[in-house]
Amino acid sequence: MNLRQKLLLLFSLTVAAAVAAVAWTVLVRIRLVFEQRDQQETALFVSQFQREFQHRSAEVAAAVDHIAASEHVRAMAFEIVQSGDAAPYLTEAQTLAQDAQLDFLEIVGADGNVVSSAQWPARFGYPEPAAELTTTTFLKREDLPNGASALGLFAARPIRGAEPAVHLVGGKRLDQSFLADLPAAPGMQISLYSDAGANPSPGTDPSTVPSANFAAFDPARLLSATGPVTAAARYQSLIDSARKTGLPASSILYLTDHREDSVNATAIPLKSESGTVLAVLTVSISRGGMVEAQQHIRAIAYGVAAGGILFAIICSLWIAARVSRPIEQLARAAEQVAAGNWETHVPERSRDEVGQLARSFNHMTAQLTSQREQLIQTERVAAWRELARRLAHELKNPLFPLQLTVENLVRARALPPNEFDEVFNESTRTLGMEIANLKTIISRFSDFSKMPKPELEHVDAKGVIERVRSLYETTAATSNPVPQPIRFELDVSPEPMPLHVDPELLHRALSNLVLNAMDAMPDGGTLTLSANPLANHIEIRVSDTGAGLTPEECERLFTPYYTTKQHGTGLGLAIVQSVIADHSGTIAVESRPAGGATFVITLPKSSLEV
Amino acid sequence: MLRQVVISCLIALAVLPAAARTRPHYGGTLRIEVEGDPWKVPDGIAWSLVHDGLTRMDSNGTAIPALAVRWETQNDNHRWQFWLRPNVQFHSGWPLKPSTVVLSLSGSCRADAGCPWTTVHAVGTSIVFTSDSPMPNLPALLSGNGYLIGQAESEEGKALPGSVGTGPFHFVGLQNGAETFEANEGSWQGRPFVDKIEIFSHKSIHDQWLDLSVGRADIVEVPAEQLRVAQQQHLTLLTSPPVTLLALAVADSSLLSNPNIRGAIALAVDRSALSNVIFQKQGEVTASLLPSALTGYSFLFPIERDLNKAHEMRGGLATPALTLAADNSATMQLAAQRLALNLHEAGFNVQVANAATAQHKDLALIQLTLASSQPQSSLESMLRSVGVSTPVIENTPAGLYKTEHEFLETHTLIPLLYLPRAYAVSGRVRDLRLSASGWPLLADVSLQDAQ
Repeated sequence: MNLRQKLLLLFSLTVAAAVAAVAWTVLVRIRLVFEQRDQQETALFVSQFQREFQHRSAEVAAAVDHIAASEHVRAMAFEIVQSGDAAPYLTEAQTLAQDAQLDFLEIVGADGNVVSSAQWPARFGYPEPAAELTTTTFLKREDLPNGASALGLFAARPIRGAEPAVHLVGGKRLDQSFLADLPAAPGMQISLYSDAGANPSPGTDPSTVPSANFAAFDPARLLSATGPVTAAARYQSLIDSARKTGLPASSILYLTDHREDSVNATAIPLKSESGTVLAVLTVSISRGGMVEAQQHIRAIAYGVAAGGILFAIICSLWIAARVSRPIEQLARAAEQVAAGNWETHVPERSRDEVGQLARSFNHMTAQLTSQREQLIQTERVAAWRELARRLAHELKNPLFPLQLTVENLVRARALPPNEFDEVFNESTRTLGMEIANLKTIISRFSDFSKMPKPELEHVDAKGVIERVRSLYETTAATSNPVPQPIRFELDVSPEPMPLHVDPELLHRALSNLVLNAMDAMPDGGTLTLSANPLANHIEIRVSDTGAGLTPEECERLFTPYYTTKQHGTGLGLAIVQSVIADHSGTIAVESRPAGGATFVITLPKSSLEV
Repeated sequence: MLRQVVISCLIALAVLPAAARTRPHYGGTLRIEVEGDPWKVPDGIAWSLVHDGLTRMDSNGTAIPALAVRWETQNDNHRWQFWLRPNVQFHSGWPLKPSTVVLSLSGSCRADAGCPWTTVHAVGTSIVFTSDSPMPNLPALLSGNGYLIGQAESEEGKALPGSVGTGPFHFVGLQNGAETFEANEGSWQGRPFVDKIEIFSHKSIHDQWLDLSVGRADIVEVPAEQLRVAQQQHLTLLTSPPVTLLALAVADSSLLSNPNIRGAIALAVDRSALSNVIFQKQGEVTASLLPSALTGYSFLFPIERDLNKAHEMRGGLATPALTLAADNSATMQLAAQRLALNLHEAGFNVQVANAATAQHKDLALIQLTLASSQPQSSLESMLRSVGVSTPVIENTPAGLYKTEHEFLETHTLIPLLYLPRAYAVSGRVRDLRLSASGWPLLADVSLQDAQ
């Protein structure tokens, strides 16, 4: 990934992250605002509903008050108290309830027993504890003759004029028709969850059934004004919460997998006078409109964000190109410089840091070029000096005997002929030897200057090493004048060690190393030739047990014309290094403090076995 | 002397109008309103207008001749022979023949499984009943509405609707919304006083009383529970002794086959609440089949409610929901609901249903009518009406008690109350009397404003 791509990615990510953060913040804020508004709306509706509920409660109370205040009922109560016979009024509650449009009405005698019941006429004679309640209105679960029970909004009132008091307990049923009469805003659904009740005997107060005895949630018991509530099971957690805690609970309920099919629901527990939750009223307001608006805004936000990101990418492309172009030019120029093209120049367009960098770069390449030329000139002079020094040194040694021999010959002319002949012969022999020595010196310099091009072949390293060993093992054993001959050891791996090399050049290089090793052991020793295959290379080692090398010697050993020998030209190891380098190999020297040196040649392994 | 003559004349003048007021007149239309169906079998008011039985009951509870002029029992009450009244015609003009009577009685047998005889056949102008078991009460039983004689087939052998009899009135049809009956001029009992009787059926008690108050009805029903109100409204009432037994019939079915369960039900019912409140103290609480006035031993059957014992007898046995069927009238439904409430306290789950529509009845609140004032025949009639065909042979109080006790021990029928039957009549109705069963004897009625 280049700089431009990195810059592009960085800019794009930065802008995208910024846009996404803004979009997320906006959406979250919008959602919060909508939810707040939704909650306020729900709270308003719930408040309206509660007012209406209280209004209905007041209506019930007023109806019961009206009945209790009527002359007919007061006369009835007086008669009941006076005569003690309530039987004639067995059906009175039905008539009164019908007139007052009440669903429930019971006349309760001074003894607390029902005299007449509109909802359950046969219940006369059974106690009605609710008659003693002093609250304006209260909720109560009323048992019905069919074994079921109904929830009602009740009011209990004493009938004035009769002592002890005869009471009326009247109420209206909290059922679907009650819910249908309640004012509901569009999208608002009011439903009622009512337990079946414990169906106690008529003598007990069902409202005393503790809430802990509530049956498990039954979705079929959640009814709205129009019938069973759709997806009633989704209301379970909310209703159970209200049933258990006795406190209103609100939550967003998702009726289906679609978000728009969700409602903001509030569960209002309807409690008896004793605090027992008798039913739960749920007011749910559809969030469909809000969700649709949210989705619309979200779609716009996504569109704006996508457009922004696209625009950012385009801008990033332009900015990245503008920013990276000089740097890219610098990089390319640096590559060219690295490749040796020191004449490279970069344009200097700006005055900023990049422009300064370009100017510095151009200055640097100009300096480098200048210094290289100076260095080349200096090196060239140094080389010539070194060459001249060497040549002078090498040539001076044979020239001095030649001069002496010639001078001897000149002086010998004065000698008698027989002596002159003797001197002459001796001098000509010396002259021949020194001239041969000069030829040798010149040949070596010629060889160094004319290194042949390798003719590569596939050979096995064992073969090359074996050839060297066979050539020099006998020589070493016989020609060495010391009593202790040089012993050759061979440590060659039996594995194939293919090489793609010029066998003659490699042989010359190894021979050179072997001869050096032999020279390093004037008192005899062991010369070890070893070869081992590595992963991708073949390692050849030439070790001796001679005096070894100093670190300085090791460092300068491959420098041309450097030699530790008295009569060496200093070109042998340079030639070896040149041969090895021509075969893409390396050569190194290891010297042990205890003596001995090892030359390590590493050559690439050939893919073809010999 | 003159003074005495004048006084005598004045007394005579005073008495003559009174005598004129009490002497019945022929003519007029008697309007009756009823809550139920006048043709309801067997207690519909129309049956006794149109039909006669072989016998009828007098005010003392004794069977007296009707279509049969005399009867004899043979073979220790195993065989009875009834001689038909001669020269009696059906309303169709068809003479009363023994074969027609046999056919009518056989139809009654098919309709009512409680026939006391095994065979019935005609022998000359007589009808002969035979049975494997003695029939000591057959004449009394034959006076019941279940055994009225009607012409079942026409001359051509076609089936007749069952409204053709020999009674004091013949059925004309439905006129102006009323079942209309006209006086049978050729009635063997003599022509009734009124020319026509119109029976308006399915009228609520409230409407009946309203029509009575405005002069649109002459005889209306007064349920027992409304008697007090009727008295408060100063209606002219005609009330029978307690003749209707309100009882709880308990099915001896799988659910209630355990006699202890049935006994628990009998102990759980609260008769006093029914009597004192629902029936406004007009009933006579009873645990016996026959009223105390007839037998004198009713007190031997305990009427008190014993909820603890009921629980004990029930023994914690779980019973499924029981269905208590009752007539659809408000009072009967209310009584049934009260009984359901009583039973609920004893651990039973009882649902009240309409008897006409209930698919299954574990319990039924029924009304049985006392057939006569003669205890032996009344007991047998009552037992037969609940499916017990064993004849009541014993005529002594001890024997009757034993029979009754043995039956009630099964707890398949739990007597609750004896209720009177009552009617409110307008001022133009004269000489209306009630039979021993509490039914109005309309053949004797005359109208004050009749010509």
